Amino acid sequence: MENQNKRITHVMVLICFLFLCIVVYLTYFEVFVKDKILTSSYNRRQWEQEDTTLRGSILDRNGVVLAKSTMDENKQERIYPYGSLYSQVIGYNSKAYGKSLMELYYNNELLNIREYSSIFNFKEKLSGELKTGNNLYLTIDHKLQEKAEQLLRGKNGAVVAMRPKTGEILAMVSKPDFDPSSTKLAQNWEELIKSKDSPFLPRATQGLYVPGSTFKVLTAAAAVENGMEDRTFDDKGSITIDGKIFNNFNSHVYGNLDLKSALAVSSNVAFAQIGSELGEKVLKEIAVRVGMNREIPFDIPLNSSRFPYESMGKTDLAAVGMGQGKLLVTPLHMAMIASGIGNNGIIMKPYLVDRVVSSSDITQKSVKPDKFSQIMSPETAQKVKDMMQYVVETGTGKGAAIKGVKIAGKTGTAENELSSKQKNKEHAWFICFAPVDDPQVAVAVVLEYSGSTGGALAAPIARDLMRQVLGK
Amino acid sequence: MRVLKYPRPVEMIVLVNAIGFGLLFFYKKPYDYFILIAGLSVILLVGFGYFAIRKAKLGDGYLFLISGMLSSIGIIMLYRLDRELGFKQIVWFGISIAAFFASYFLYRRYQVWERLTCYYPAISLFLFVATLLFGRSINGAKNWIFIGKFSIQPSECIKIIFVFFIAAFFNKYKEEFKELTALRFKKEDIKLYILMSGAYMHLGLMVIQKEWGTALLLFLVYFMLVYVLINNRLFMLINAGMASLGGIGGILFVSHIKVRVDTWLNPWKDIAGKGYQITQSLFAIGSGGFFGTGIGLGRPDFIPEVNTDFIFSAICEEMGIFGGVAIVLLYFILAYRGFKIALYTVENFTKTLALGLTLLFGFQTFIIVGGVIKLIPLTGITLPFISYGGSSLIVSFIALGILQAISAGPAAYVTRKEKLDGESK
Repeated sequence: MENQNKRITHVMVLICFLFLCIVVYLTYFEVFVKDKILTSSYNRRQWEQEDTTLRGSILDRNGVVLAKSTMDENKQERIYPYGSLYSQVIGYNSKAYGKSLMELYYNNELLNIREYSSIFNFKEKLSGELKTGNNLYLTIDHKLQEKAEQLLRGKNGAVVAMRPKTGEILAMVSKPDFDPSSTKLAQNWEELIKSKDSPFLPRATQGLYVPGSTFKVLTAAAAVENGMEDRTFDDKGSITIDGKIFNNFNSHVYGNLDLKSALAVSSNVAFAQIGSELGEKVLKEIAVRVGMNREIPFDIPLNSSRFPYESMGKTDLAAVGMGQGKLLVTPLHMAMIASGIGNNGIIMKPYLVDRVVSSSDITQKSVKPDKFSQIMSPETAQKVKDMMQYVVETGTGKGAAIKGVKIAGKTGTAENELSSKQKNKEHAWFICFAPVDDPQVAVAVVLEYSGSTGGALAAPIARDLMRQVLGK
Repeated sequence: MRVLKYPRPVEMIVLVNAIGFGLLFFYKKPYDYFILIAGLSVILLVGFGYFAIRKAKLGDGYLFLISGMLSSIGIIMLYRLDRELGFKQIVWFGISIAAFFASYFLYRRYQVWERLTCYYPAISLFLFVATLLFGRSINGAKNWIFIGKFSIQPSECIKIIFVFFIAAFFNKYKEEFKELTALRFKKEDIKLYILMSGAYMHLGLMVIQKEWGTALLLFLVYFMLVYVLINNRLFMLINAGMASLGGIGGILFVSHIKVRVDTWLNPWKDIAGKGYQITQSLFAIGSGGFFGTGIGLGRPDFIPEVNTDFIFSAICEEMGIFGGVAIVLLYFILAYRGFKIALYTVENFTKTLALGLTLLFGFQTFIIVGGVIKLIPLTGITLPFISYGGSSLIVSFIALGILQAISAGPAAYVTRKEKLDGESK
């Protein structure tokens, strides 16, 4: 009998434990899980909220309205005055297809939903009054965004322009894009999701591309840091490392080169050699330092750039030295790297939303520029700057030159999975910042499978954007 | 000065009903005065039951109060979800209280329960066959019998019969089981295998009716009773082995169970289809937050099956996680009272019965609450005392009535508690 009662207590403890599991799990769910799931388009409650709250507007840095909502007989409609121009930044907000990008990640701000709003807004909820959400002011400059879109029209790729000293994104265009209004989405949905061009991919933030020669600015920085500044290279048009042949673009022979002119002409021979000499540790270290393989905080999802090597052979080192191999970067990340070099070695955290303002014009949240990471010493940055300026003055980047402004840049013509099979399928890259001594803008341009060089196609686009920012 | 003292439990129930129905009344215009009548009748029903138990000294004073509180919250929630269902549930609640007292008196009046060993499985089988012959299926499980306008769910009754069966069987062969310290694989073990087949027959009936949740519930109750009463490791191992074999077999070969497990592991994969129920439940719980939206201000009507299986999610949405936790704690003290009764009861049959019924409440709550919050795979069973449904509510109160009768310690059975009380005085 006594033993039996003892075992009954065991069973009681078990039941107690099971109930405790429920309590713990509910708390865990509340604190860690729910925020991730509530924005699902299948949660009809968020549309419920939308019926009683007028969704906030999204504006550019000068107050130009980029997205707004109107209420008409209890039916709310989201209007994008510039059509597809902001589809890859703001995204869409549709009952049928859900939300994306800024409409998704700033949903609570736009609808003014807070954890305790159900208690504070008790009165409105009971009386059914219409509430208004918060407005978002972006760092985007609408004029510049329009210009960037014009320059990129008809091509696939992305353009990012940002302020090196603060991290503000001034323009961000990805192509192809789509019209985000609900009616147009409903019309084109099938076609859009089936399209081989993936129009729903925001290339500027989520597109991953081989960086090609633009990566050489980092190889050059590592070379400077490791005392190779005064080295010279004998460029015979190709070099054999560990049995593998590395060619210059069009197998051009440049002869005797120092580091500066090697970057200016974008010599693969020189940089393959530098890469293999610097070694695995140094290359990996600088890649991680600039933010590869790392989450970079941003207002909409930003892919991590990849440096996917576990261990590297000589040929891997040579390929990475010239920006090929398995490296993958996002256009925004390349703009950040250019900014970092221009900003004396400091990359600022990139941001898109400058402030959140309530419907009664009270600022709820505003962003202060913040350092992301120090990628190189100011001295090294100065040397790389000089080299990049030389690229635009005399080298492959001449297409970006503007009269009376000192510009630093680097071209890239990246081989990829298509270009190895077909001719003329390389990605054209250009990264730059200007003016060199007091950088106001940094730009990254990538054109997918363009079939030409970064200097010929991408550099002029960057030039036109810089011209508009600098007023030249 | 009574106001300043701690309120008595029954006063808290009155308060909960007054607040709940009061809020419902003010929530919608034009005012529906019927809500006030509904609230008043719930208060009167609970009050009547409570004072009857107190005045007539019918045993444990808390069992009825706890279940009264749970039912009150259930009725408020159902009334808020669907006025008509709420009204029906009040009627069922009245009938249930009658059934509670009826089972109390019947159980004490006739001392035949421990002698009906072989009849219990026969009744179960009869009910089962009746369901197969006259049953109609609702939601894919053929487990309802329609009599005129009413539908009853025999599987609910089978739960109680199952516990009676095990208790009676153990009682009959208690001497033999006592000596059974190790399995000998001899003739003497045959009683054990009879018990086992009796238990698994009940499980099998549930499986055929596709009531996976009830099958799991019965197994857990059986397994725990075996642990407490026989305490033979090898025998438990055999049972656990068979259960896991059945479980794995079910996951591999029965598409229905496989779907349940898949949606438990990742409901987001097929959110519009198989994962719809559970994800809607999670949305509801998530949007309630800690404090809930307030009664009438959430959207629990988006949850499928919200009146029965998913009512806990609706409570979490409108009364918050804190409300949900309070419900779970109420079940816990209910189970605690049940365990206490089982511990203090000396007589073999009654002890087993009390323990079995308590486990029935405890595990049933865990299975369905754990299911709707995605802690364990979802199997559709009702939440005792709260879910909508006459069969479920009445059977829960019948089980409670029997527990109450045991707690009262009828003249024939001297409980240890009374002895102890006597000594201390």
